[in-house]
Amino acid sequence: MERFEPVIVAFCCHYCAYTAADMAGTMRLDYPANVKIVRVPCSGKVDPIHMMKALELGADGVLVAGCLEGDCHFKTGNVRAARRVAYVQQQLEEIGIEPERLAMVTMSAGMGTRFASIANEFTEQIRKLGPNPVAAVRKGQAAAEPVAQVN
Amino acid sequence: MTDHTNDAQSTVLVIGGGVGGIKAAMDLSEARKDVLLVDKAAAIGGLMTQLDRTFPTNNCDLCTISPHLSAGAREQHIELMPLTEVTALAGDAGDFTVTLTSAPRYIDLDKCTACGECHKQYPECVRFYPGLDHRAPTCMRYPQATPQAFSIDMAACKDVDALVKVCPAGAIVVDDQEKEVTRRVSSIILAVGAELFDPGKLDHFGHGRYPNVVTGLEYERIMSASGPTLGNLVRPSDGQAPKRVAWIQCAGSRGINREDVSYCSSVCCMYALKEAIVTKERFQDDIETTIFFMDMRTFGKDYEAYYQRAKEQYNIRMVRCRPHSIVPDPGGQEMRISYATDEVSGMTTENFDMVVLSTGFRPAAHTVQLAETLGIALNTHQFVQSNHFEPVVTSRPGIYVCGVSEGPKDIPETMVQASAAACMAARHTDKALHDVEENDEYPPERDVFGEAPRIGVFVCDCGQNIGGAMDVEALVQESAKYPHVVHAEMAGHGCGQEALARMRRMIEEKKLNRVVVGACSPRTHEGLFQENLRKAGLNKYLLEIANIRDQNAWVHGGARELATAKGKKLIRMAVGAVAQAGPLREHTLPMNKDVLVLGGGVAGMNSALSLGDQGYKVFLAERTGRLGGLAAVIRRNLEGDDVRVYVAQLVERVQAHDNIEVITNAIVVDHSGMPGKFQTGFQIGPRMYYRQIEHGATVLATGALAHRPNQYLLGRHKAVMTQLDLDDLIEAQPDRIKDWECMVMIQCVGSRTAENPNCSRICCQTAIKNALRLTDLNPEMRVFVLYRDMRTYGFSEDAYIEARRRGVIFVRYEAEKTPQVTADGDRVTVQFDDPILGRPMEVSADCLGLSTGLIADDETTEDLAAIFHLNRTEDGHFLEDHVKLKPLDMSVPGFFVAGTAHSPRSIAESIAQAQGVAGRIQGLLSQDVINLGAVVARVDRDKCATCLVCVRACPYNVPFINEDRYSEIDPAKCHGCGTCAAECPAKAIQLSCFEDAPIMAKLEGLLERIA
Amino acid sequence: MITAERKPLAEIIDYIDNCRRILLVGCNECVTVCAAGGRKEVAMLASAMQMDFMKRGKTVDIREMTLERQCEPEYVEELAPFIDQVDAVVSMACGCGVQEVVRRFRDKRVYPAVNTQFMGAAERPGVWAERCHGCGNCLLGLTGGICPIARCSKRLMNGPCGGSSKGKCEVSPEIDCVWQLIWDRLKELGIEDRYEEIILAKDWRTERGGGPRKIVREDLAQ
Repeated sequence: MERFEPVIVAFCCHYCAYTAADMAGTMRLDYPANVKIVRVPCSGKVDPIHMMKALELGADGVLVAGCLEGDCHFKTGNVRAARRVAYVQQQLEEIGIEPERLAMVTMSAGMGTRFASIANEFTEQIRKLGPNPVAAVRKGQAAAEPVAQVN
Repeated sequence: MTDHTNDAQSTVLVIGGGVGGIKAAMDLSEARKDVLLVDKAAAIGGLMTQLDRTFPTNNCDLCTISPHLSAGAREQHIELMPLTEVTALAGDAGDFTVTLTSAPRYIDLDKCTACGECHKQYPECVRFYPGLDHRAPTCMRYPQATPQAFSIDMAACKDVDALVKVCPAGAIVVDDQEKEVTRRVSSIILAVGAELFDPGKLDHFGHGRYPNVVTGLEYERIMSASGPTLGNLVRPSDGQAPKRVAWIQCAGSRGINREDVSYCSSVCCMYALKEAIVTKERFQDDIETTIFFMDMRTFGKDYEAYYQRAKEQYNIRMVRCRPHSIVPDPGGQEMRISYATDEVSGMTTENFDMVVLSTGFRPAAHTVQLAETLGIALNTHQFVQSNHFEPVVTSRPGIYVCGVSEGPKDIPETMVQASAAACMAARHTDKALHDVEENDEYPPERDVFGEAPRIGVFVCDCGQNIGGAMDVEALVQESAKYPHVVHAEMAGHGCGQEALARMRRMIEEKKLNRVVVGACSPRTHEGLFQENLRKAGLNKYLLEIANIRDQNAWVHGGARELATAKGKKLIRMAVGAVAQAGPLREHTLPMNKDVLVLGGGVAGMNSALSLGDQGYKVFLAERTGRLGGLAAVIRRNLEGDDVRVYVAQLVERVQAHDNIEVITNAIVVDHSGMPGKFQTGFQIGPRMYYRQIEHGATVLATGALAHRPNQYLLGRHKAVMTQLDLDDLIEAQPDRIKDWECMVMIQCVGSRTAENPNCSRICCQTAIKNALRLTDLNPEMRVFVLYRDMRTYGFSEDAYIEARRRGVIFVRYEAEKTPQVTADGDRVTVQFDDPILGRPMEVSADCLGLSTGLIADDETTEDLAAIFHLNRTEDGHFLEDHVKLKPLDMSVPGFFVAGTAHSPRSIAESIAQAQGVAGRIQGLLSQDVINLGAVVARVDRDKCATCLVCVRACPYNVPFINEDRYSEIDPAKCHGCGTCAAECPAKAIQLSCFEDAPIMAKLEGLLERIA
Repeated sequence: MITAERKPLAEIIDYIDNCRRILLVGCNECVTVCAAGGRKEVAMLASAMQMDFMKRGKTVDIREMTLERQCEPEYVEELAPFIDQVDAVVSMACGCGVQEVVRRFRDKRVYPAVNTQFMGAAERPGVWAERCHGCGNCLLGLTGGICPIARCSKRLMNGPCGGSSKGKCEVSPEIDCVWQLIWDRLKELGIEDRYEEIILAKDWRTERGGGPRKIVREDLAQ
């Protein structure tokens, strides 16, 4: 059977996680191409809706990556992000989606190695979980439903 | 390039494009001064671009600085003339006329795209710098040589017509001529650096004869990924991996023999340690590293810790000996070194696969010529003569010097002097230039409101950096199919001049109103591309960068298909997001141009004077009741100048200065604001009345403390004193001292110990200063200096030589076995081991002088760090933003550090920092407004439920419910974190640039295939 | 403020399982403030519902709307253009809002997505506590401004009972004994004497004893 290649969205804060991801590149560290980064100024900017929507649109895993605890460029954004991730995990459990598909991680700007190893481990974890049950259905659909706009 | 014809009173000429020259030019251009930067070489960058890594971070710091060197960032104020030398100078400070002669390049800079065809086909005709080759497969050393173009060696070219044909851009100019121009400039900064000593002149080391004997720089090139062996460490003779590498320090330095120079080159100990550490990092136990040295001179900030790591963590063997010669082992490729040590009697002989000669700086012959042309004095070593109290001032008014041309020094000290020279040189320029409105050069912004998105996609190949890892052509073809994309093309080196100009042309021709660039990280290059959009008449926020280099090409170098597929997705996401982008206005505030200087010592007063002279209002706040700091109690410096007179003059000038307000007995109690708009509260005077000062920038010059550890009977016996006490005594009671028969000095008292691991930098010079003065008073006096390593770096080595010539006895002791001191009536008895005689000695001394050095003022820096949110080193000094490249800036914007609050240093070095800080601040305060950027939270009043969630969630307490009953966020105060936007239960808040729409568009772009 | 909490997803799904097109309506008043039914919760629930359907191989069309105040007919009227396109309305407003939608759109199925809880105040961000029962005859003037009806587990008029221990209620150590609070407050005000005055049995007709209540202001009524 063909190996399952999950799609993973990583919301990375500009000051630490995104810089660490750049650093991983500078260090030529190999990590899975499955992980695609969306840059945000602070992990505290990541709305629970974005985490939900990423999964609804078919992502197999979602990472929220911020600065180390106590090191948030904006003081406490990473702490808030961690609390929101826990909240969304509960929601996922209610829906019947594995909460492990969503994770909060932290690192400093210099931790290119940590970014790469997290990307590796998380991809492996999601690979074990298999495809997002939502994504599996989506593939079968002829056309996507119109996405309703938030007013 | 801007027209510089009318530059008489406003241009500074910077000679030399190494890091020092570049830093000076950048500081000046930040301060909106025009700069003419000339360099003999075909591309700027100097020596640093050839280094593999730099100490003490072992980073490739060039990667950090190179984006700032690229054309876009500097073109507005810096005119670059490569292959150019100064051939004549006339006039005076404020209005020099300089004659510049440029060698032919045989390349039209406007046409050359640095494609490399000429070099590929006719390598012998192309002047090629291995260290600068952006095309080397894994090279990240210097991807952006500036100017990014080749140059041709016509003399080496046999078939000129064929060479011309090979160039696809038609950039080769066969009849290019030497050109001579004259220009008027107001002041000059000399930053020509120095050459490295060629050890081939020393036949006993065999460099040039034996391939396995290399210089430090050659070793650096071998280790460098962009070097001749692509970073594989191999023995030059046979390409085998070496197992044993030795470094020999002071090759050609600190000597008296033929071809030697007497001074110390200051950097070789650190670079040898660095090379050995990097070698060990890469090969661990597979390689043995040995350093032969006389004194280990790791005197810089935290350098001593680096030395200890080298020994303890990396097991680098340190052998204290200066081997006489290197001879080939008759049996094979190895090199043989015989040496003697204190521990073993007789000679020891060892073989090594490679021997690295740590060669130091030599003034270049053309520098001597240039000094003559400029009419400036050189010192006895042929370096540019400077004044101890004015460290960047040359003998000719209006001409300043920085970096190694002034004397051997490392990169941070070069950076400091460069900023200082920029500050000094700017004094001669026309101040009226300040008022020129910069943005006038940009066309008005095109109103794109209501237009359907017309997106242009530009995909860089960045040489092999991106192109080598993925199919850029395929990316372009795929991008063209994405919604709203009306144009897609390859951009080569998108950040190059040519590519930027083409992008602007395409924006116009194709009527683009949104741009995506597939490039490197937006962290480094967003500003550059944003500015390019602005030049093309588009709002700069109509841009999105897809990071296909740092986060794709460099990660999936070996998997072309994977990288190509991921690259497509990243561009798809960017296209989705940019379609949702709208023009944004940046928020500004008026800039407060007053400066707060904390600390009234030599550093603080010099900063205040430099800034005050430039017209800035300065508040000089001193914690104690008097100005002068620690220097006020110093009598003489090593060179014999009267420090007390100097400090008194300084105090007088400060107090009389119209622009400086001195506030004594002032203690900082609170602080708020941002660069250009700080408020700092003080409690002042015995009454502790409160005063708040508003200022735009802050200088930390709070100094350090003279150390007085409770050791060697200090404070318990009147014959025991610190070098500082002794310095005063020599001036105050010379007659008493004259009768002394014997003086003993102990170095590193309270420094380089477990409690205070760092070197105090100044003590060796201080001890020698006092030893020389004592022998001046009484040539018969016996003076012993008990030391661990004599660290008389740079030209102070001459004083060390002079002291030995006069019979001062230097005896080394080990940290494990410190001298023993006992009281003996009015005298003290000092016992120590003499390593050369190999037996204990006992000396009865009239006086024991302790070199106690400086320690951080821990209490002060801790308080200030808490109030200002600053970083400190482990030993309590302020920690600068970047040890190599930004040694004067703190990581909190708007804060700068000078003097011993940074690290222990001499008066001259403190003054350089103080003036350097003034140079940095000029740049910061040259703008009339503070740009707050456009990333701010905005409230939709119709959606706001006045729930107070944002008011409570904001980490900076910015939102409030206004009179009209909705949440209001002041863009001037918003930090742009987006926490409120993510928390708002009514979705009434959006963060500009990171609204829900572009984030959702990215997710949809990424996941559309799945849907 | 009226407080509410979102219902378990399964219960909501149960109501609408056979629907394909749903209008999910939030309210920008109380339920927004207590993070139960504002625009953000609407989007969260929409996404959760969608995923729940998709997991079972179906999709639904969910239109999200949030009204300024769902308990006002004019605002509810904003649903009119869309109402015919949907099979059902799911309301995230309090019970008042749900019923106002029902009153306007007689022929449409309308389901609640939140459990309306109580009238309360924000003790701190994210924590809301009951403060008022709406008894129709406020006696805060007698009890130092602290309501024993809303905040005493037994609604005692003359407390505390024997279950009060160290200032806490026997029902849960999380609950303050309101009579302790009242006593402390009276003491702070220096009017402890008031405590001795017996509060007479309450006339519950003003609460629900007299049937559903209505307020009519003659001068404003049209």
